[in-house]
Amino acid sequence: MNENSSSPAPQLLSGWRLITTYLVIGGVVGFYLFRLFTIQILQSEAYLIRAEDNRTNIVRLPTQRGLIFDRNGTVLARNVASYNVVITPANLPADEGAVQEIYRRLSALIGVPVNNGEINQETVRNFTPCFNDLGIAQIVFIGDSLAPYSPVRVKCNIDETTAMVIREKSADLPGVEIEIEPIRDYPTGVLTSTIVGFLGPIPAIEQDYWESLGFVANRDKVGYAGVENSLNDLLMGKNGRRVVEVDNAGKIIRDVEPPLEPVPGNNIHLTIDVRLQAAARAALLNNMQFYNIRVGDPDRYTQGVVIVIDVRTGEILALVSHPTFENNRMARFIPAYYYEQLTRDPARPLFNHAISAEHSPGSVYKLSTAIGALNEGVVTPEQEIFDPGVIKLEQRFAPNDPRPRFEEYVCYTYKTTGEGHGDVNFVKGVGVSCNVYFYKLGGGYQDEVPNGGLGVWRLKEYAQALGYGRTFGIELPGEADGLVPDPTWKRRTVGENWATGDTYLAAVGEGYDLATPLQVLVSAATIANNGRMMKPTLIHEITNSEGEVIRPFVPQVIWDITKDPVINIYDENFFQTGEKKTVQPWVLEEVRKGMRYTTVDGTAALIFAGATFESAGKTGTAEYCDNVAREKGLCRRGNWPSHAWYVGFAPYNNPEIAVVAFVYNGGEGAVLAAPVVRRTMEAYFELKKIDEGD
Amino acid sequence: MLRREVWRHFDYWLFGAVLILCVFGIVMIRSAIAGNNELAGSVQSQTIYVALGMGIIIITASINYRTWSSLSRLMYVFGVVMLIGINIIGEAAFGSTRWFRAGVINIQPSELAKIIMIIVLADYFSRTADQPKNLIWIGKSALMTFGMVVWILLQPNLSTSIVVIVIWFVLMWISGLPTRYIIIFGILGVAIFALLVGLLAAGVDVPFIEPYQVNRIVNFLFPDPNARHGETYNIEQALITIGNGGLFGKGYGAGTQVQLRFLKVRHTDFIFSAMAEEFGFIGTTIVIGLLVFVVIRCLRVAQKANDVFGSLIAYGIAILIFFQMAVNIGVNLNVLPVTGLTLPFISYGGSSLISLVLGIGLVESVAAHSQTLDF
Repeated sequence: MNENSSSPAPQLLSGWRLITTYLVIGGVVGFYLFRLFTIQILQSEAYLIRAEDNRTNIVRLPTQRGLIFDRNGTVLARNVASYNVVITPANLPADEGAVQEIYRRLSALIGVPVNNGEINQETVRNFTPCFNDLGIAQIVFIGDSLAPYSPVRVKCNIDETTAMVIREKSADLPGVEIEIEPIRDYPTGVLTSTIVGFLGPIPAIEQDYWESLGFVANRDKVGYAGVENSLNDLLMGKNGRRVVEVDNAGKIIRDVEPPLEPVPGNNIHLTIDVRLQAAARAALLNNMQFYNIRVGDPDRYTQGVVIVIDVRTGEILALVSHPTFENNRMARFIPAYYYEQLTRDPARPLFNHAISAEHSPGSVYKLSTAIGALNEGVVTPEQEIFDPGVIKLEQRFAPNDPRPRFEEYVCYTYKTTGEGHGDVNFVKGVGVSCNVYFYKLGGGYQDEVPNGGLGVWRLKEYAQALGYGRTFGIELPGEADGLVPDPTWKRRTVGENWATGDTYLAAVGEGYDLATPLQVLVSAATIANNGRMMKPTLIHEITNSEGEVIRPFVPQVIWDITKDPVINIYDENFFQTGEKKTVQPWVLEEVRKGMRYTTVDGTAALIFAGATFESAGKTGTAEYCDNVAREKGLCRRGNWPSHAWYVGFAPYNNPEIAVVAFVYNGGEGAVLAAPVVRRTMEAYFELKKIDEGD
Repeated sequence: MLRREVWRHFDYWLFGAVLILCVFGIVMIRSAIAGNNELAGSVQSQTIYVALGMGIIIITASINYRTWSSLSRLMYVFGVVMLIGINIIGEAAFGSTRWFRAGVINIQPSELAKIIMIIVLADYFSRTADQPKNLIWIGKSALMTFGMVVWILLQPNLSTSIVVIVIWFVLMWISGLPTRYIIIFGILGVAIFALLVGLLAAGVDVPFIEPYQVNRIVNFLFPDPNARHGETYNIEQALITIGNGGLFGKGYGAGTQVQLRFLKVRHTDFIFSAMAEEFGFIGTTIVIGLLVFVVIRCLRVAQKANDVFGSLIAYGIAILIFFQMAVNIGVNLNVLPVTGLTLPFISYGGSSLISLVLGIGLVESVAAHSQTLDF
């Protein structure tokens, strides 16, 4: 056989079959090289990015949220440590027996069972650290399969002692650690919750925005209410950033870039004096409770407001909105049942009644009418106008309305005594809050107040000059702008012509007028401050984390109505002439006299009797009929429900503060609101004495 | 035994290429360990296997391959007994019993079975070279093949079974299988595959076939867009790893996908990807070139052999190397479903290497003992 095959034997393997073999090999290799070329050269870019993405991880180092203080440095919001027990699966010992021993010991300390629940797709998908009823072994199993080098929370918010015990025993518990999570703490709680607010998780809808700023959803929190919300950008700080290389198990190998340290948030020093805040709140609640007991209905007076402003600077010294919420209950997470309870409460605890509630201002609005009437020369201060207790006025819907109806407009005294105030001059008119006097001033009356009085257009100008119908930009979310009505507005919104009666009502702050307690306060503060309207503000100063002042307090003037021409001049057809004018300083002086009369001989004389300070003010009993009152069947003609208002300033001769008190459905302003203002003013002067004594 | 004339026709090019590939394999495995303690010993053990392997090549080359012709029946019986033995007393590794532990060296009988089958079939087809290529001829070879394959399937080890079946088929084809039978085989193959998939989809338990094996193929053919991360992770990472290499690669020991262990089974099944990341398109092409060179050298030996038996052995070994290489690279490039076939000479694994160097030794033997009349 060997001899026969001395020459190469092409007959051994068929030629074409060999060629086919080479072709197949060549084809496969060619295809692979092509494929390799595609992946490594043509699509290299995309895979490079994915490889980079695999190995680099951005770690956001949590920053410290800024603190919130009151004007004297009392802490209103701070960060405290909360302790969580965490296990890093990769750090547990390799021996299963040792692991079980650790679980048993830990279980005895924190009360989480070693084994509970079972691992299946459902429980793994729904797994939320801190909120599950799984055992330690199950939690660690899930953590291990997700990211073995990341700590998984086994129990959250354990007490400090247990945390320290676990720390001490860390040598016996390898893999178990105590994680310190900063949470927000509000030492003053409900007292300042309306102002301070609370935090919550980054909302899903804003997630992209916050993540673009380097914050981490489900970890970092943002403000939901109060200054925590409105000044969130100042408080929040900036997270640090580490770009790290990680391996497949998530273990950090090294920093790819130099790490950026977190920048702590700024500290906010509010203008609030927490002592005065406490006094004002106590005054409001005591007064409301006193009358609740007196009428035998604990739910009679449920909502009230007190605000104190420094008239010279616009600083809000106290801002109470009742009812409110306990922000410490929302520090860790927002409990659903509590939030539900708050949102369903008809008294609306989450609503800031001080700046967001729009109500009929009632007689406190007469200050606008009063200034307008004097400044426009509708009356002179000495001119006496007769108040018979009730007047009949034509209700015209057009200047030449062929069938005017007559309606009765009464003074509040008429309801009880059947009489009026008699002859009333300006100071008395303001002081006793004589409705008929202001009806006549606002809408004109026969020969007594000719030419239709002040009229709705000019009234609107003076109301706006005092701050009605606008927002001031106070540093709280949800500031409302109220409503200063005019005929155009009524035609557009109500679909009716302006009636003469509407002017009469508008002149006394009823009808369509709506105002927030803050607006009422600013109107009085402007009068007290000689016409200089200061921007109401809650920020005293802003300091950085080192305590350096980065924004000192600078009072801001919105305008000075005695110097800045803010009042449009109208021609006889109520068209704006384009010219503007100011308010004469003596007008404000007269109005202040009228307000002083209130506390001396007027509507609040009894309340302010014996006060150690001189104050001036204005009561308001604003009849209203809103949806709540209508449902309760309170809206009865001639006996409408009413809100209690009182706004005042003190000292009379050199005003420092203005205070407004408001009680929803509070009835008589002098009864429900004025005592609150007096007690708040007393507290202010007492505190001033204490501070000066130091 | 080590006569001078043997070494005169010894294929030094083939030996050299294999040696380079094996050494490169050690180098690549060293990089692929990437700090994994469990794999730390693999460089040392692979080095021992490579040294051992080179010895095996020389020893096998020096033995006249014709000796094996007479021993083929004995070897066949030995192979079957070994495979049955593994099924009875073998220890479980990775869910299937494949290993014999013999001291330091773990021997995987199915790896050896490939070489045995090449010899046995080469012997059969060379003896029957003059017979008509009818169904009886096919049937006998099929009986022989499946007599062995059935025990491999039982382990279960589908990929090795397929390798053996492919070797059988290719050797039969090169021995002159008429084209009409190829068509019949093709139709039969597709029908059986479709039947299997159908049965498994209907939940019927098919012997020898594990559901995961069919799932792999189905997943490959019809990727599920909602597939969980875990099912596609390995192959996704392999593609990223290859793409990350670019033209010149990241450099030895500097591939992030490899060194940070995003690439899995990187020292065996996916060592091609690891190499593609660290040495880039150029390095990878060179390695593929070397592998193809080995295959072509084997085919050259097959052409130059002076009997059908030697020719078929060399051809069978060439196909074995090429098929394993093609499947392994195909898996890495995501053009084939995931199998357990390793990259010849480079992947970590003693049994695989031993069986491959045995094959190369046989080819060298064919080369060395073909020119006896050369004076």
